Amino acid sequence: MRSHMPPHAYIDQAWFERERDLLFKPLWQFIGLKVTLDKHNAFLTRTLFGIPIVVQNFQGELRAFENICPHRQNPIQIQPHGVRPLFCGYHGWSFDREGTTRIPHEETLYRFDREERACIHLRQFALEIVGNLLFVNLSAQPLPIAEQFGAEMLASLQASSDAYDSEVIMTTYEGKFNWKLAYENLRDSHHPRYLHARTLYQDVKFHAGIDESALTALRQQQVNLLDDRGEALALMRRFSTGGPDAPMQAPPSEHWQTMVERYGSQDWYYNWLAFPNLHLASSNGGHSFTIEHHIPVAPGRTDLVLCFVTAKKKRPYPSSAAVLHAHMMEADKILREDIDVMEQIQRTLHPDTRPAHLGDYEFLNASVEQWYLGLMEEKFAL
Amino acid sequence: MPCKYVVGSGLDLERALAAWRVLAPEIELRPLELSPRADQDAMHAALADLDPLEATAFVAADAYFLNFHRLELMSIVRGRGIQMPALAECGAIVSAGVRLLDNSWVGAGAVIGPGCRIGFNVVIGAGAVIGAGTVIDQSAYISPGVVVGHGANIGSKATLGIGVSVGHGVEIGALSVIDRPGRIDTNVATKTFIHATHSQPIVIIGQ
Repeated sequence: MRSHMPPHAYIDQAWFERERDLLFKPLWQFIGLKVTLDKHNAFLTRTLFGIPIVVQNFQGELRAFENICPHRQNPIQIQPHGVRPLFCGYHGWSFDREGTTRIPHEETLYRFDREERACIHLRQFALEIVGNLLFVNLSAQPLPIAEQFGAEMLASLQASSDAYDSEVIMTTYEGKFNWKLAYENLRDSHHPRYLHARTLYQDVKFHAGIDESALTALRQQQVNLLDDRGEALALMRRFSTGGPDAPMQAPPSEHWQTMVERYGSQDWYYNWLAFPNLHLASSNGGHSFTIEHHIPVAPGRTDLVLCFVTAKKKRPYPSSAAVLHAHMMEADKILREDIDVMEQIQRTLHPDTRPAHLGDYEFLNASVEQWYLGLMEEKFAL
Repeated sequence: MPCKYVVGSGLDLERALAAWRVLAPEIELRPLELSPRADQDAMHAALADLDPLEATAFVAADAYFLNFHRLELMSIVRGRGIQMPALAECGAIVSAGVRLLDNSWVGAGAVIGPGCRIGFNVVIGAGAVIGAGTVIDQSAYISPGVVVGHGANIGSKATLGIGVSVGHGVEIGALSVIDRPGRIDTNVATKTFIHATHSQPIVIIGQ
């Protein structure tokens, strides 16, 4: 089937900005892991669509704010993560869990009138905690998170992420590709046979098949063009799926795996795709997890934040950092195969690029594509 | 005739054997080659027959697995009660008063300045220069040619790759890896990995 995605969807700045407003701002977006914020004053910072955000622990309670001091717009927390009060180092303003501001020398140096003073507080964002996963919503009136992911997916995300250990390794890849290419790739179970033939496919034989009933539903969807928000949300929830994906070729046998409390008991590769831009996986039957968050930066730029965590340690062991580092470097090989191909594709795209041709096995990508174009054409709004 | 087990693999093993032959020609050397990626069970099995009454030993291994592999080998050998004197190759300059602890290895042409403290199982590669008063904690790995300034602190099991230079007074956290050539002038937190292959550092947070 011929793809309806125009090349502009991948390369055009105006399209990117509409996508930000129509798709990302109304939706919940992953921002980090709760296990990294387990102390009073622990924080993490991220920039989502140009908006700097800080998530801070106040005596065990997590809050998300815009990471900008209302005085002179200095970022309040500078580092990507750490343990430090919410305090601006420029002029000493500090902030509590409500975003209320304490201003040193307020009476003598600032003398704000009552009306202006009432406006001086941090902009707060809605924050939801699902197991160990933290999501923020940039909208003033966020939709309930269950409407985005569905109860079953949320339960699966909660149960699996509750198994995460508190020691996390992370880094960021600065990808030169549009974020949608990553998810089209992740939903394509046929590519590992070729692209990852010497790496991932050695361990897991992903099965690419055609789901005839899903394909029929897709064709029906083409006939009944979406124009209802409720139907659109219902369809969107079907894009977020997770659980055992494919059996491992050999059972897990690494020494460190005996030292963690495994999630589940199946020797399978687990995959969770949380629409629109979060991918979680366990390549070794629940002994460890990768968390990939693809943050759109520009039409041709995506920051891929990669975290790797084992299941909870039964007790601390000295070489746990080496285990995390070794796995990060192993995951790097597979990830770079994906990044290379996505960057190659991005480089080929131009305004007159002819449409892609999807096979029937790519019914899920085709379904997402139709839904997405309906949103961008404002047939419905989130 | 006194003898020494030299445990390791590949070039590290060959280099250590060559160095000991020059330094102590009277000692009979018994190489014990292990797979460089041997797991714990294989290591224990290979080292089960070492006799503490018969010999001393030296472990020659690289920085694999954040230096835990070399440390594990050393621990198994030492656990059998075997002495593991340090190796300072010919041409290495170790300032007076600097003590080399068990299984540390200073390569040919390396210079260790006065007042340095070098932990056990540290490797300082050929031609590396360690400034005065620097502390290098146990099991750190300093690659050949690395330059470390005065008064620096290299944490335990940290790894400095080829082409790295560390400024005066800089602290490199334990378990960190810096293998992107260049100068480091600011402190590097524990469990931070700066690789040439990654534009952003890799970090571990939490415990």
